[in-house]
Order: sequence, then structure tokens, then C-alpha cells
Amino acid sequence: MASEYVTVAKVRDVPAGEMAAFNVGGTKIAVANVEGTFHAFDDTCTHQQCSLAEGDLDGTTVTCPCHGSQFDVTNGAVLAPPAMRPVRSYRVRVEGDALQVSL
Amino acid sequence: MSATFVIVGAGQAGGTAAAILREEGFAGNVILIGAEAQPPYERPPLSKQYLRGEMPFEHTLVRPANFYDEQRVQTLFGSYVTRLDAGDRIVELADGSRIPYDKVLIATGGRPRRLAVPGRDLEGVYDLRTVGDAARIRAEIAPGRRAVVVGMGFIGAEVAASLRSCGVDVVMVAPSRLPLVHILGEEIGRLLEGLHRDHGVEMIFQDAVAAIEGVGRVERVTTAAGRHLACDFVVVGVGIEPAIEFLAGSGVQVDNGIVVDEYCRTNVAGIYAAGDNANHYHPLFGRHIRVEHWQNALKQGAAAARSMLGRGAPYDEVPWFWSDQYDVNLQYGGFHTEWDELIVRGRLAERDCVAFYLKDGRIMAALGVNRGKELRRSMPLIRARARVDPATLRDEDADLRQVASSSEDHRQHSALRSG
Repeated sequence: MASEYVTVAKVRDVPAGEMAAFNVGGTKIAVANVEGTFHAFDDTCTHQQCSLAEGDLDGTTVTCPCHGSQFDVTNGAVLAPPAMRPVRSYRVRVEGDALQVSL
Repeated sequence: MSATFVIVGAGQAGGTAAAILREEGFAGNVILIGAEAQPPYERPPLSKQYLRGEMPFEHTLVRPANFYDEQRVQTLFGSYVTRLDAGDRIVELADGSRIPYDKVLIATGGRPRRLAVPGRDLEGVYDLRTVGDAARIRAEIAPGRRAVVVGMGFIGAEVAASLRSCGVDVVMVAPSRLPLVHILGEEIGRLLEGLHRDHGVEMIFQDAVAAIEGVGRVERVTTAAGRHLACDFVVVGVGIEPAIEFLAGSGVQVDNGIVVDEYCRTNVAGIYAAGDNANHYHPLFGRHIRVEHWQNALKQGAAAARSMLGRGAPYDEVPWFWSDQYDVNLQYGGFHTEWDELIVRGRLAERDCVAFYLKDGRIMAALGVNRGKELRRSMPLIRARARVDPATLRDEDADLRQVASSSEDHRQHSALRSG
């Protein structure tokens, strides 16, 4: 079955080096812009449910603002504790000026 | 014959060290000895999510429970080490067994300081260090029950916050004028007092517990000033002391914990220490410091393991910790014992700020109040003990990352000029 993409924002809403979080069907999804390439992942840190989009993005590493857990935005893998479980990652694409995420 | 590395203490530091030995390819024997029955787990949730019943114990494990078998780490959980014989390189257990080692890491952490008051051993009086302690306190929690929390350090404050969140009535007793005022100063002390007051904690300052009373079980706490506080249970959080009595006679130097160099080596060959029990020479600060926080246990434990393998590097992480109380996330970075200027970026009254602790114009440490991102961005400034114009620190429009990089440029120019 073809996956369904949902438009979450305009491309310009997430400038390079920045992140933003969007509510997609009840799930908060973060989108990171790494030098023009977009990556989407669960915004909610698996450690203590803080918003990762409110943290810092350094290259492809996102750092949680609350307790410093780090994740790879390209695949959701844990790079540094205290989080121990990965965040889910999602497919993301650009259609015209629309940023779209597939749940 | 392959070498045997023994790790005494199976907390965050010891568990991490065992894992790092294997990750770094050590093929010899690894024996991990812990006084508690459980595999290594993280302690931060014990005063927070675990205490409130929001997190299962399994989520606190440093590594999955089967990790140690899979990695051929021999575990002796529920075992006390009673003596270390540095001459024959043997650790002795309470059951009399003797375990030879080639190298040993001491990561026994700390144990709660005990109140020296009558009634200390009554039922319903708890310390908080282990998951067992946390489980016992958790069993006391119910809306409308009354607790006395002794001490307003981070453990006391977090326990009070957790108890209030569960509907327990809380009275806190502390000797200080304000919470953590000696460490964090008047402004932050007031902020923390206001936070707990807003959440209905009754705080009694400049007083101390004189006696804990009850028939078999605690019924009330009497203070030095003569207050009588009726209660259902008591939680004591008055700090820890290093759990290192078994080193008596070993020749290992002890002074506010086990004295180690920047590589986590003690004065005795083959003996290392890390975590809460280690008084470590910190190259950045040029002095020994003993840190009782999660990040230090994690990273110093790893650093000690690499040192044991001969691949060590000076451990020079800037100390960092967090504390969650109600809806407030506190994060501290750096190390300061004194300061002559406190610069507040943001709004203290709204509990939304970073407080910078300066000494002679240099940033020694910072405390973020619901400003984790900015605290993290301040870490390079703290590491450099940078001189930054106070007006710039206060300026909310100034990006601390840019401040840090321009401060770095400044330092390099200064170095060039002076070189």
C-alpha cells in the first residue's frame, strides 16, 4: 500500500540548521533541516517526553533540552544517554513548497 | 593466562565501566561486584518518575539485564566487599570468598548520611539511595498522607516535589535560610523556596530534627526549636558519604573520597576509582573535586575503564547535572564554590532564566531554570571560564553560541599576543 504523505508546513518554515515540531494526526513529529535535507522523527524524547525540536541541532545530531539525550535525526538512533530507546523516524519529502511527512 | 579486572560497585559508574571494557575489546575476565541484588541501574528516576510510579524499574537499567551474561561479565550482585588486599591483589567478600585481580576499579558510590537523632530506626523513616529505598517510600504514598522531608538539597527537593505531585502533604525541615542558598545563592534560593511554596510545601528553615518519635513506627518529628510535626512517614535527604570503609589498611589514599589523578588512578598501582566515591584531579580546575552526579558516574566510569586498558585520557568533562521539580527543569554546568557576581539572563520571577556565577569576571558555572538549551550553549563559555561582558550575558537577543565563539576568538588572540 502506498504510504500517505501529509503536508505539515511550507519548506521555508524549517530553515537550514533548524527544527520544528508538527502535530500529525495526534503525533508530534519533529522535522530537522540538515543543510537542505529534511529528516522527520518523533518529537517526544523517549527518556522524559520533552520536545526534541526545542533542543539543539548540530549536524545530524539532536540534543534534548531537558536531560541532554542525543539522537541521530537520520534514523532516530540513540547517540547519548540518558535516553536508551530510539525515537521513531518517518519519511519526509518536498512537494513544490510543501513539506510532507508519511506516518 | 588472561588478566582479571574486578569492578567493585555495580551502579552507574561500575556498570558503565564493565560495558566499556568489552566495547574496547578487552578479552580478559571482568567481574562486577555489587551490594544490591539488581543489575546496574540509573538513580535519577528514584526521586522522580520511579518514585511516582510512572516508570518501571526495567527502564532504569544501565544495560539490558542479559547484557552481562552476553558480554561474559561475571556478576556478583548482592555481595559486599569487606576488604581490599593491595599487596596480594585480592578483594574479600563478606561470605569469605577471595577474588584475585590484576586491576580493580572502585565504584562503590556513596551511602546516605544518617541523622544522629533518637528514633532514627523507627519504621516509616527512610533514606533514599537504592531502588529498594524508593520502592519502600513509594508504598507509603497516598493522597492525604503526611510526610516530613529532612533536608532541602536536590534529593530532598525532588522527593518533596514528587510527593506533592502524588497528593502527599509535605513539611520540609532544613538548617539553611533558603534551599541550597550556600551553593546557588540568595536569588536561586528564593526561586526554589517560591516554587515549593507555590506547590503547597510547608518549609521550616533554620531548624533541625531533634527526635523522631512514635511507638514502633514514626508518629511525629520534633525539631530543635520545639516544633512537633505529626506525620505518617519521614524521608531523610542530608547527603551521602563515600562507601569506602573496606579500603582501611589497603594503602589507598583517602581524603574526601578516594584520591585519584586525572586518569582515575589511585596512589596504588592497579587500583582505580570513579563516580561518587572518587575525589578526582580535574585538569580544568587544577584541583581535586568529588562529584555526586549522574553524568560524572557515567563518563568517569567510562574514562576509568579506558585507563585500566592503558588507553586513558585525562578526564576533563565539565560537571553537569539536572534536577526536575514540578514543572521546572534545572540544569547546572561547571564548578563553583564561590562567586562575586551573579548575572541573570531572563526572568527569575517567572522561573525562566540562566544564572551565571562569575568570579573575577570569569564564568565559573551556570544554572539554567527551564533553559536547558541555553545552558547547553553556555557550556563552552564555562569550559573556557570566559570573560564575557555582563550586558551581553543579560542580552536575550545575543545568541550564546556566537558569544562562545567570539569569546574563543578573543582567547586565541590573547594567547597570540601574550605568546
